[in-house]
Amino acid sequence: MLGFLASRQSGLDHPLRLRRAESTRRVLSLELNKDRDVERIHGSGVNSLDIEPVEGRYMLSGGSDGVIVLYDLANISRKPYYTCKAVCTVGKSHPDVHKFSVETVQWYPHDTGIFTSSSFDKTLKIWDTNTLQPADVFHFEGTVYSHHMSPVATKHCLIAVGTKSHKVQLCDLKSGSCSHILQGHRGEVLAVSWSPRHEYILATASADSRVKLWDVRRASSCLITLDQHNGEKSKASSETANTAHNGRVNGLCFTADGLHFLTTGTDDRMRLWNSSSGENTLVNYGKVCNESRKGLKFTISDGCSPDFVFVPFDSRIAVYTLYAGELITMLRGHYSDVDCCVFQSNFQELYSGSKDCNILAWVPAMRDPAPDEDSEKSGPQSHLNPAFQDAWSSSDEEG
Amino acid sequence: MDQKLSELVEQLTTSGEPELNLEKMKELKKICRTSDEHISHIYHLLMTQLNEDHAEVRFSAFQVVAELFTRSHQFRTLLISNFQEFLELTVETDYDQPLPPPKEVAQKLKKLAIKSVQEWHEKYGETYKKLSLGYHFLKQNKKVDFQDTSARTLAERKREEEKQRRLENIYKEKAKQAAEEMQEMSEEIQANLIEMENCFKLLMPDPFDFSVNGVESELGRTEDKAKAGSFQVEKEMGLEAPMPGTLDDEQPCCSKDLPPVTLNQKTGESGISGSSEYQEEDGKGLSERECEADDMNEDDSFIRKHGLGSHTYNLNLEISTDLKVCENEDNSAVVTNLLDICRLIKNKFCPSIQSWIQLFTKAGVNDDRLRHAIDLKRQLEMALKKHEALNIECQQRERKVMKDSDEEDDDDFVEVPEKEGFEPHIPDHLRKEYGLESLAPPQAAKTQGIVKPAGPNPPKRPKTNDEELDPTCAAATWKLIRDKLPKLPPINSSVPGSPEPDTSTESINKQKKREEDRAIAPVMPFGIDLYYWGQDQPTAGKILKFSSQHRFWTPNELEEEVENKEMEAMLKTRYITFPGKFEPVKHKCRAPMPDGSLCERQDRFKCPFHGKIIPRDELGTPTNPEDQAREAKQKFEKEAEEQDWRDPEFMREIESATGVDLGSSKITGKGKGGKKGKKKKYPNLTDLKQHTNTSRSRLQKKVFNKAAVKRVVSAMNRMDQKKHEKFANQFNYALN
Repeated sequence: MLGFLASRQSGLDHPLRLRRAESTRRVLSLELNKDRDVERIHGSGVNSLDIEPVEGRYMLSGGSDGVIVLYDLANISRKPYYTCKAVCTVGKSHPDVHKFSVETVQWYPHDTGIFTSSSFDKTLKIWDTNTLQPADVFHFEGTVYSHHMSPVATKHCLIAVGTKSHKVQLCDLKSGSCSHILQGHRGEVLAVSWSPRHEYILATASADSRVKLWDVRRASSCLITLDQHNGEKSKASSETANTAHNGRVNGLCFTADGLHFLTTGTDDRMRLWNSSSGENTLVNYGKVCNESRKGLKFTISDGCSPDFVFVPFDSRIAVYTLYAGELITMLRGHYSDVDCCVFQSNFQELYSGSKDCNILAWVPAMRDPAPDEDSEKSGPQSHLNPAFQDAWSSSDEEG
Repeated sequence: MDQKLSELVEQLTTSGEPELNLEKMKELKKICRTSDEHISHIYHLLMTQLNEDHAEVRFSAFQVVAELFTRSHQFRTLLISNFQEFLELTVETDYDQPLPPPKEVAQKLKKLAIKSVQEWHEKYGETYKKLSLGYHFLKQNKKVDFQDTSARTLAERKREEEKQRRLENIYKEKAKQAAEEMQEMSEEIQANLIEMENCFKLLMPDPFDFSVNGVESELGRTEDKAKAGSFQVEKEMGLEAPMPGTLDDEQPCCSKDLPPVTLNQKTGESGISGSSEYQEEDGKGLSERECEADDMNEDDSFIRKHGLGSHTYNLNLEISTDLKVCENEDNSAVVTNLLDICRLIKNKFCPSIQSWIQLFTKAGVNDDRLRHAIDLKRQLEMALKKHEALNIECQQRERKVMKDSDEEDDDDFVEVPEKEGFEPHIPDHLRKEYGLESLAPPQAAKTQGIVKPAGPNPPKRPKTNDEELDPTCAAATWKLIRDKLPKLPPINSSVPGSPEPDTSTESINKQKKREEDRAIAPVMPFGIDLYYWGQDQPTAGKILKFSSQHRFWTPNELEEEVENKEMEAMLKTRYITFPGKFEPVKHKCRAPMPDGSLCERQDRFKCPFHGKIIPRDELGTPTNPEDQAREAKQKFEKEAEEQDWRDPEFMREIESATGVDLGSSKITGKGKGGKKGKKKKYPNLTDLKQHTNTSRSRLQKKVFNKAAVKRVVSAMNRMDQKKHEKFANQFNYALN
């Protein structure tokens, strides 16, 4: 750290280098911190989390009982201990609350004044954050599994919606109507995601084990249908042709630079794809337990030198390096299946929502104070908290 | 050191006991405190033990964990880092991963674990975040009620509540019904109570209520008891004092002891006053007597003044302390009524009130209804008590009725002249009218001789006749027999000079025998043919031939009737089957069973388990000596046989315990014992496999045995194949 600082000071290093190194270190030291709590509002499982990209301060959470909660993550109290307060809630008593489980929540990428939520009650709602009233409601034929707005789009304002029907629908916020329908999938569409690099590129993952890349300017057909075997085996057996997974594909996430994206499937595999060529990069992540029948929200860190993937793994969160596929650690804290996790890149914090109603904050561990000689001598008594002390009874007889 | 640690952990966790061995625990702790490495080692050891599929192992392991958890920070961190799994293994958070058997220990483990988690949360929850998360998880998601010691799951609680609610509803409904019933019945009860109260009043006057007393004394069957200050002279009537005038020794009256001079007067007076309200008249009577006595004797004045007969006056008051009401003809109606009511109360009201009260208490009704029921019950009980206190001496009811009807026949019942045309017994003097010979048997004359002098109605029947005419009384039956029997002897005796009296006795004997035979002979159903037995039946055995049914054409000559001898013979033979009467078996096998009881089987001749049924004494040993010998022999043979299959393992165990060679090795050598030699690893733990050794499982083993299943399947397949052959629908072809 000091070395990085010195070289940064002297201008030997690129400024990014220090940042990357430090953020990597912080990500590696993520832990469940007792100083950080998220207020317990949800009475049932948490399906979806999203942190607004502007400040990285507010977080939305959608629960399986239809409740949407907005948290303030910033700690302005200047104390180590902080509980993320719920700023506002679309609770059960709210007139416009979703009737059924909220599957996806997302901030409007450019402003915190709007957020969107889609639910199993077959609606997609556009909310005005300040009045907490829905500005617009889109109705669909099937339950909505996932929706996404492009974070980089400047020329369009489309929300891609994956529903139970096999079509991907594009809703235009400007007109308030469904402008496109992308046909090609043969199963329900469990995950949709816009490319963070090209504003017209959309990736969709479906229960028919296919992942397709679309250019929304050309709605007639998709660009590529991803093939897990990169076209080698598909010649032999037509059935497995052009499938991305051997089960339902329920998770989809682009890297921050948009060059690659990850998919997860119920075949307990995670695959990294080249988003421009649609090739399977064949990174082996090992077995990633995944039994979710709905969409799975996982996340990829941003700004670390090897980037990391945080993916729900039963009741744990597995941390892999993105390109090597190496399992770094398992974050244990939830008592039930984890449904979603979201990475806050400014402070390298991770938030995860689970079926056990908890939202847990995974915060980088504080750097241990430099071991002094004095404290070394004083030994375990120097612990601040008596709970950390051992309590062996003093006499040997007692044990 | 690590070796020792794992040994200790294994010993501790496989002890199977509810408490840990303190010494071993001490030793364990001593090792643990030496370094953190040992702690992580023991943590892993304990986790593996917690993963064992045996609740007792888990329970003991959990106890060790709890001990260490409060002591070592390192252990806490380790455990909490894997708290999910720990909870799954101890609190059963994962539904698909239930706690292993035995069930009671698993339940105990769960309870203890929940309690410990709560304690830990209170103590360390702030510093160990995951611990508090786990606690909240249990509390909110698994809905564990930490106050509820029984540690029931949500579903269990719900089920319990539902059951409770259902029961409550049922009780409420029942209580409502009971209330209605009570409403209906309470009037009846009240009426009965009032009636009873009145009966009491009639039977037993209130000593302070004189107006009533007067009325009652006329009824005169009460016996008042002296209460507190006022003493009363007993009045005795009824059976004990049938005549009010003749006061006798039984009456504890002072007059008995009086000298003869005064006695006359006194007895006379008391006789006149009719012994009623003696105590009331006492003062008045005395003063009157004084006036009268004034002129009689001056000297006696002192005595008289004091109402004394003489100086040697002994007053003996016999105050009976127990109540006694005797029944006599005067009060019998009241007593009968009282007894009826009592019976009604005892048999009907009390049980129903009891059931109401039970229902109300069960239903949690705590209002007027319950109070009302309790009031009713108390009233009834008081009434019953009062009845008991009265100590009513009833006469034998039946006898009394009979006697009464006898005695009061003349007075109470209006004589009804015999109905014309129906004379069950023709009186002697009327026999002539009917054209019958007078029977005139001497005994009848005797009984009928007591004809009372004629009253207004001439056919005044004698007493005995009355009885005899009543078909329900024994006398009538006797008369019937008497009437019947003489019919036969007169025929014999009517022949005046019957020469052979011995033949008559013979015939009587014969007759007697016949009678006896007739009594023994079974009565069988018979056909109508027997009714005409012996009579010549014209059509019997004849076959009528109608040769032609044709309308116009008839054959010229044909015998229309054909006699068939065989048929005739057939009609004159008759078989009546008589299988005898079924007699249920009364005896039991009574052979001694291994558990000490006697065989209860009731076979007629042979018990399927113990052979021929022989007489046995109460211990089950045969009474006949030869049977005894046979049984002893059999027993000996059986024992010799048993020697062969004695359990070698059991014998070996005994040998190892006692050090005496019983020859198990011999048996093992030739038998199957060799492979059984494997010893149980942890003898103290409850054997989980043993639990499965139930009759069901044993049967299962037999029924689901591979070979058996195969056999059944092949048989069924064969049957299926046969279905397509001939006679497939007939079961006896299907199985062969």
